[in-house]
Amino acid sequence: MAEPYLVVEHLTKVYERGQVLALKDVSFTVEKGEFLVVIGLSGSGKSTLLRCINRLVEPTSGRIFLGGVEITRLSAREMRKMRRKIGMIFQQFNLIKRATVMTNVLTGRLGYNPTWRTLLGLFPKEDRELALKNLERVGLSDKAYVRADELSGGQQQRVGIARALMQEPELLLADEPVSALDPATSHSVMQYLEQMNREDGVTVLASLHFLSLARRYGTRIIALKEGRLVFDGPPEAIDDAKFKEIYGEEAEQVEVR
Amino acid sequence: MTSEAAAGVRPKARAEGSTLRRRFLSFLLDWMIWGYIAYGVMYLLNAYWWTVPLERYYSTLTLPSWGWPLAVLGTLEMAVWSRNLGRSLGLKAFGYEVWGADGKPPTVGQRVKRALLWHLSVLPLGAGFWSSPERPWHDRLAGTELHVLPSSPAPKRRKALFSQWGIMSLLLIALTIWLGWLIIKIDPRVLIRRWDEGSRIWLEMLHPDFRYFARPDPAFELRNLSFSILDMAVVTLFMALLSTILGAALAFPLSFLGARNVMGFNPAGWLVYFVMRGLFNIFRSIDTMLWAVIFAVWVLWGSPLAGVLALTVHTIAALGKLYSEQVEGIDPGPVEAVAAAGGSRIEVIRYAVIPQVAPSFWAFTLYRWDINVRMSTVIALVGGGGIGDLLFYYKNQGDWPKVGAVVIVIVAIVWAMDYISGRLRERIV
Repeated sequence: MAEPYLVVEHLTKVYERGQVLALKDVSFTVEKGEFLVVIGLSGSGKSTLLRCINRLVEPTSGRIFLGGVEITRLSAREMRKMRRKIGMIFQQFNLIKRATVMTNVLTGRLGYNPTWRTLLGLFPKEDRELALKNLERVGLSDKAYVRADELSGGQQQRVGIARALMQEPELLLADEPVSALDPATSHSVMQYLEQMNREDGVTVLASLHFLSLARRYGTRIIALKEGRLVFDGPPEAIDDAKFKEIYGEEAEQVEVR
Repeated sequence: MTSEAAAGVRPKARAEGSTLRRRFLSFLLDWMIWGYIAYGVMYLLNAYWWTVPLERYYSTLTLPSWGWPLAVLGTLEMAVWSRNLGRSLGLKAFGYEVWGADGKPPTVGQRVKRALLWHLSVLPLGAGFWSSPERPWHDRLAGTELHVLPSSPAPKRRKALFSQWGIMSLLLIALTIWLGWLIIKIDPRVLIRRWDEGSRIWLEMLHPDFRYFARPDPAFELRNLSFSILDMAVVTLFMALLSTILGAALAFPLSFLGARNVMGFNPAGWLVYFVMRGLFNIFRSIDTMLWAVIFAVWVLWGSPLAGVLALTVHTIAALGKLYSEQVEGIDPGPVEAVAAAGGSRIEVIRYAVIPQVAPSFWAFTLYRWDINVRMSTVIALVGGGGIGDLLFYYKNQGDWPKVGAVVIVIVAIVWAMDYISGRLRERIV
């Protein structure tokens, strides 16, 4: 049997300041092409888990393999190279607000270009064409030279998706991509992720707040509670009892249509 | 798991530590206030009471050797009692209030008890505080608590003028004015008595002598300084421009070294950060005038180069500090995004940090430009060169009409530069 695409083994993260334990001995694997959704309450460790995979957060212990490479052992330079293949989108979009949409999208190519070029902002013509193509894909080709902070939330997140597309990623980490958006916009953003997953074969790891969204888009779900993995299985397997275990006794299911 | 055990204990201990620190600083403030009052009282006694000539010509009141410990302990006691009988300035400044454990205001009995028992907590080397920082012994025994507002239920509070801290504030302001008056020896009558001197200078300056506006004053040939007022104005302008540009250009890269979030949280980053911030603070606390003294001796007295160097050094330090504080205040989101896309540290700075700080960097630079323009006009007083050279030369000669001419040119320069930087600021912000 071939090695799974992403392997997380006994991952533990302790934040030094305050000694808060964010992740406790989390292990799971992801096959290529999966749409894995991570659910759990706020503070359950979802964000930390995703950030450990591209090492924006240094794990305290445990190992992570991506395509057979042990990510947790890479040097800073090697990790930067590795990050090119790992796209990421964020809850607060994390765009450069005062720069144009074009500049924002082009930052997805930073890892592919020599530093002297990027510092001068001299991205190659192919990159600019790719940027326009990706903006067209997310329906924002007319906004290329608008300042990022002039866009609506949904549009900003689509710029975030275009930026991730620029990396031509194999893996996409989506940290609560729709938490700051209204329900209708949420679905349009999720559909772009689904499209990336199905058409480009990008493996997606998305953390989501709402179980209904997780069920609708995920091919598999894992759940975290207080830093521990408490569920790993297909979306159908989460019944009422499991739900209460993950979200606590008082929780009610909320639908996002 | 060991980390789990640590998780339970550490954060609480930290919170307690900071509580103790706050309480201590609050107490220290009260103690210092009473120390100041004691000093003021001594000074006033000296000024008004002990001025009667005694047999000995030296008749100031000084503390005897046993007086110092007495003063230290006396002010300490005053601080303790003032903190318990009412809301002292120290309590107010840190948002504290003594409150009954039962949720009611403390009775007078409880307040007195608390003040007395305070000694019990402190005397065994502060054991009462260390053993239970949240509620030390004297609070437990007197049945009181120190509340941090606004977490306590909003009590009916006295108006500032009827509370201890309000009265105390007024008293401190009054005492400071009184002491200042005596120490500075303020005498407004001088202004009237010497009216003739003043009016003469004003009148002469109001008839400015622009004879040497465009051609050099022959008087300076002796000093190898064949410049007209206009020449010196140009020199001064370039001194301000050059020092601002050089200072900002050097402060810009250095400011990232002095920013916590850019340097990362590893020991090497800490060290660079500390050294950088330390240098900024030291160089900034030495005033431009002092830098000018140093460089005037080093380079040449009266050379504009000395002035430019002094202004530049101070500009680097001042802007470096302001810039790095801005860098520390950025939204970390874009930093994360650029790093996640494979950006190196310098690319993170270029794409995530600089766009965020650029507007405030410009604003600070323009603000510094205003300062440098003003400083460059007077830095000649300490050998920094520029138009001030003429100003102080004519002043020493008593040639007030020429001083007037130079002052008018200085005012014109400052006004014009202020106007330009103001307009630029509008464009940027």
